[in-house]
Amino acid sequence: MTTVVASAAKQGMVSCLTCQLLMRPANMAEPGHCPRCGARVVVRRHHSIQYTWALVIAAAICYIPANVLPVLETSAFGSTEADTIMGGVVYLYQSGSWPLALIVLVASVMIPLGKLLALGYLLVSVQRGWAKNERDRARIYRMVELIGRWSMLDVFVDAFTVALVQLSPLMSVAPGPGVVFFMAVVVLTMLAAESFDPRLIWDAAERQGTVN
Amino acid sequence: MPADPPDRLPQATIVPPKRARFSVIWIIPILAAVVAIGIAVQRILSQGPTITIVFTAAEGIEANKTFIKYKDVNIGQVTAVRLTNDYSKVEVTAKIEKHAAGLIVEDAKFWVVRPRITLSGVSGLSTLLSGNYIGFEAGKSDNSQSTFIGLDEAPVVAGQAGRQYTLIARDLGSLDVGSPIYYRRLPVGQVTGYSLTSDGTGVQVKIFINSPYDRFVYPSTRFWNASGIEASITAEGVSVHTESLTALLVGGLAFDLPPFAPRESAAVPNATFTLYDDRLVAMKAPDPIARQSVLYFNESLRGLSVGAPVTFLGLNAGEVTSVGLEIDTENAIVKPRVTITFYPERVMAFADAKSRKIIGPISSVDQTRRLQFMRRLIEERGLRAQLKSGSLLTGQLYVAFDFHPGTPKVKLDLDQPTPVLPTVPSDLANLEAKLGSIVDKIDHMPLEAIGNDVKKDLESLDQTLVSVRKLVTNADNELVPGLKRDIDELHKTLQTAERAMANANTSLLESNAPAQQDLRDALQEFARAARSLRVLLDELERQPSSVIRGKIEPTGGAK
Repeated sequence: MTTVVASAAKQGMVSCLTCQLLMRPANMAEPGHCPRCGARVVVRRHHSIQYTWALVIAAAICYIPANVLPVLETSAFGSTEADTIMGGVVYLYQSGSWPLALIVLVASVMIPLGKLLALGYLLVSVQRGWAKNERDRARIYRMVELIGRWSMLDVFVDAFTVALVQLSPLMSVAPGPGVVFFMAVVVLTMLAAESFDPRLIWDAAERQGTVN
Repeated sequence: MPADPPDRLPQATIVPPKRARFSVIWIIPILAAVVAIGIAVQRILSQGPTITIVFTAAEGIEANKTFIKYKDVNIGQVTAVRLTNDYSKVEVTAKIEKHAAGLIVEDAKFWVVRPRITLSGVSGLSTLLSGNYIGFEAGKSDNSQSTFIGLDEAPVVAGQAGRQYTLIARDLGSLDVGSPIYYRRLPVGQVTGYSLTSDGTGVQVKIFINSPYDRFVYPSTRFWNASGIEASITAEGVSVHTESLTALLVGGLAFDLPPFAPRESAAVPNATFTLYDDRLVAMKAPDPIARQSVLYFNESLRGLSVGAPVTFLGLNAGEVTSVGLEIDTENAIVKPRVTITFYPERVMAFADAKSRKIIGPISSVDQTRRLQFMRRLIEERGLRAQLKSGSLLTGQLYVAFDFHPGTPKVKLDLDQPTPVLPTVPSDLANLEAKLGSIVDKIDHMPLEAIGNDVKKDLESLDQTLVSVRKLVTNADNELVPGLKRDIDELHKTLQTAERAMANANTSLLESNAPAQQDLRDALQEFARAARSLRVLLDELERQPSSVIRGKIEPTGGAK
């Protein structure tokens, strides 16, 4: 059970998202600018849910080609081989290095998927006005935001491999189209997490007055 | 300033800004969806047909890794490899690219390309690095098909113009798929396959002659095996023949038109030819007339083989067809029997035009005159068969027909189909007989008696020699000391004599020696005496009477 304090908005106040200064807004519809840092102050982010939904859906669409299309095209000794992310996982698992396979599987397949599902869940919960598990949902949000900046690992590995393995007639590696979509998934989920306003999680509880 | 109470005034309502129903942000998912759908559509549209190829083995074929290549261009990729339902073959599913879909027709061929290194060449070397791939050869049909039976071996000739022919051979020799075929030592084609004939008595060799050269294959062209070194040791000597170094190593075929054959239009594709063992046999002119006859030789037939030449006056006229024995148990006679085939045409080829015109019809048509001619040759001219050694080195024999006028007359029975022709012993046999008689004579000499006499003589000689040696020893012991003494004395005498001679020398020969003085005086005296005697003799000659009458003075002359 957590002690729930009535939100700042309820008490006619607003805090700056940049320097966290609590202030009285010019009015609730147009709060104006932060007197300390000059940033634009919003009571709740504009169109937060709509933006987030759009980005999550775009990321979900990109997630499909990211996994279906090859991310790495290896041509060695005249034969070209295109590997998808899952193909790489299977290859690593079959060649005996299952820890590596697990890392790739978690980092490249499950985490983006988890992020999409988590954001979806947060959006649905806010839209439906669920007034339960606010803390857990907040934790999920923090996790999504934290992981976001590490999710480009795959793209970095891809870029490094392509740059390093250029032994031209013998062997060369080129990025596949999948990597672009994978990158899109990561960027879009990061933007989605950014555009989601976590304060919305508690608004519902407040409206219902059953803050617990 | 108006003093209206503030609560009388209407309160302005705050209208929250109207939310746009669709924000611009929705462009992002729409864009993503469009791109993703675009890629998907493009993928689906660019997909060609999916085909199934059944191979006996899937060596080096892997799903998603093996490509199908046509002229070294990828036209598809294997998507799945699995066993057929009866587990006897391998079913390979492959996706063909859209642009190559038109190639997948019912007579297209698929095979697994693997490195093949033969002496005649290396192929598929790239597969060593890239792994095996599936080779493809386009067909000519227009009907597309999706299930194919893969070839076990790459077709040797893929997409080349030319003609295929079939050769019937007794055995395969050293031929193999890919063995070269030569025309005037030019490689013009290759062996594409072989199989046993259905009755198992021979081998069918499929060959392919490349395009510009296939028009030199005429219906009467002869093919022969040019495999390796062809060394034949015959009565005609040793002959070594080879087509090329490649043929030497991997075998090969050659063909040519025999000089006697007509030059017609090129043979039709898939025509069947006989594969001859070697060029000699292949290029042999056919012998239309062959006459068999039997020869009985009363000597060893060692060195006479089937196929050995039969010569007529040294010209090749036929060959030995069988060498055997005729055994007569009744009379206990074993006769070496040689059957020969005589080709009159070969001899007639040497005849001059005039005689050929006469003998031609006799040989082929007029049986009676031919037999009569033969009878006369044999009975009157002494035509006989004889075994001769063709080569001292190999000891190969051949049958030579020559005229032996001095031989005893024979009666000839020419009525049977294979007449028995008379023979004479070979020169070698003659020589052997002569040597035998010499040895016989030597055998008959009383060598033992002679030996005994000689021995006796030698014994007496020995005794004589012993006596002589004894005599010599005696002489040595008894005579030599005396002789030595005598010689010493003789020596002394000689010394004395020498001294005497020296004395004589001084007393007689020196000018003032007394003896010489005396001798001079005596000689002067003697000269005077001689002068007086000459005066006396002159006197006597003039007046012989003076001895009686005394000396007459010359003054009175006439007194």
